[in-house]
Amino acid sequence: MFFTVTMSLLEGFLGTLKLFILTLVLSLPLGLFISLGSMNKNIMVKGPIRFIIWVVRGTPLMLQLLIIYYGPGIFFGVPLWGGGTDGRFMAALFAFVFNYACYFSEIFRGGIQSIPVGQYEAAAVLGMDKKQTFFKIILLQVVKRIVPPISNEVITLVKDTSLARVIAVYEIIWNGQSFIKSSGIIWPLFYTGVFYLLFSGLLTLLFSYIEKRLDYFR
Amino acid sequence: MPILEVKNLKKCFDKTDILKGISFDLEKGQTLSILGSSGSGKTTLLRCLNFLEKPDAGEIVVNGETIFDRAKPVTEAQIKSNRLHFGMVFQQFNLFPQYTALENVVLAPKLMASADKYPEIIEMGKNLLNKMGLSDRMNNYPHQLSGGQQQRVAIARALAMSPDILCFDEPTSALDPELTGEVLKVIKELAIGNTTMIIVTHEIGFAHDVSDQIIFMDDGVIADRGTPAQVIDNPSNPRTRQFLSNYHS
Repeated sequence: MFFTVTMSLLEGFLGTLKLFILTLVLSLPLGLFISLGSMNKNIMVKGPIRFIIWVVRGTPLMLQLLIIYYGPGIFFGVPLWGGGTDGRFMAALFAFVFNYACYFSEIFRGGIQSIPVGQYEAAAVLGMDKKQTFFKIILLQVVKRIVPPISNEVITLVKDTSLARVIAVYEIIWNGQSFIKSSGIIWPLFYTGVFYLLFSGLLTLLFSYIEKRLDYFR
Repeated sequence: MPILEVKNLKKCFDKTDILKGISFDLEKGQTLSILGSSGSGKTTLLRCLNFLEKPDAGEIVVNGETIFDRAKPVTEAQIKSNRLHFGMVFQQFNLFPQYTALENVVLAPKLMASADKYPEIIEMGKNLLNKMGLSDRMNNYPHQLSGGQQQRVAIARALAMSPDILCFDEPTSALDPELTGEVLKVIKELAIGNTTMIIVTHEIGFAHDVSDQIIFMDDGVIADRGTPAQVIDNPSNPRTRQFLSNYHS
């Protein structure tokens, strides 16, 4: 039985992992893009973006999943995502990417704005243009400063993926819970915690390695 | 012909006039020190020369070539090349923390050169750091250096661009007296070596020793201007006398 459960949970964990990796890969660049918008001098750009960030950060992710999945069909009569497994996964991915990009954008904004103006001025008087200044001087300093808050968000994301099951996206908790109905046992559900714990342990090690690699300057 | 002519430079922030028409000139190889109390506009003047602030009026002429004239707008690219006439050493050093001392010095020159020039640029960087007394510190990162050492790296970094005029914005104000000495010594050597310099400073004695010309600024205007003997030893302007009395006693 233990073997059967483990294999089933592993299969569910692949779903978790797929959602996790795709969300990260898409939301990090989107977050940088949003952060640049939220720092734009033009209020017509900055205003709407700050509003969207407020809404996304101010409402539960579970609610966002439900609205994004059911909303198009209920409000516009267009069931955008379809009823299939792939459609539900795409809706979940969309919600996660959008939600995490907003959180990441605030971390990027904080990182970029924390760089002293003297760094930009020193680069300018040495004749560097904006692109050189950003890529040669600013970027690495920003990366160093945002590693701890980013690692926080990434570890939260591992566990947040379990919310996707409100729109029936298969992931590890879904599989663990299914044993309650099929076999009347609850321990597989508790057992899923081990998978989360091991994976977030791995991520913790990865991030402390990155932090160490950036330790050579202050 | 003077290396630098500044004509009627004006700058205001939020309707407060910081520079109310500054005019002076500087000969090649000479050292000019700008004295004055905080808020008198001396740092703003330096920042205008480096295009860190855009003057509201006036003209800046280097080697007979007008590099800024408020009446004629300039493009971003022109500003970029024109500001290279001036080097800048900041109060807070502003070294790049992720680069070693040597990398700080050679980064900008390398960005402007082709790869085959890199060996000679690195050689030049090492020579400059040697001259600053930092031959054993080239591969240290800024946080591993004392404030005085960091400021000497910053001076080498500015010199690496071979500016016509090297500007210092209160170069020792963030340093304790012991470290101040080593930085002033380096600046003095540059003065003896005929580097053209503009130094904003509160070190009156030092300014007296190294300068060919002193400007005393007060409330956005030049209140006094002349040799150290004229301005510091025998100030004609009552405001200058009052300012200096705090130092002499």
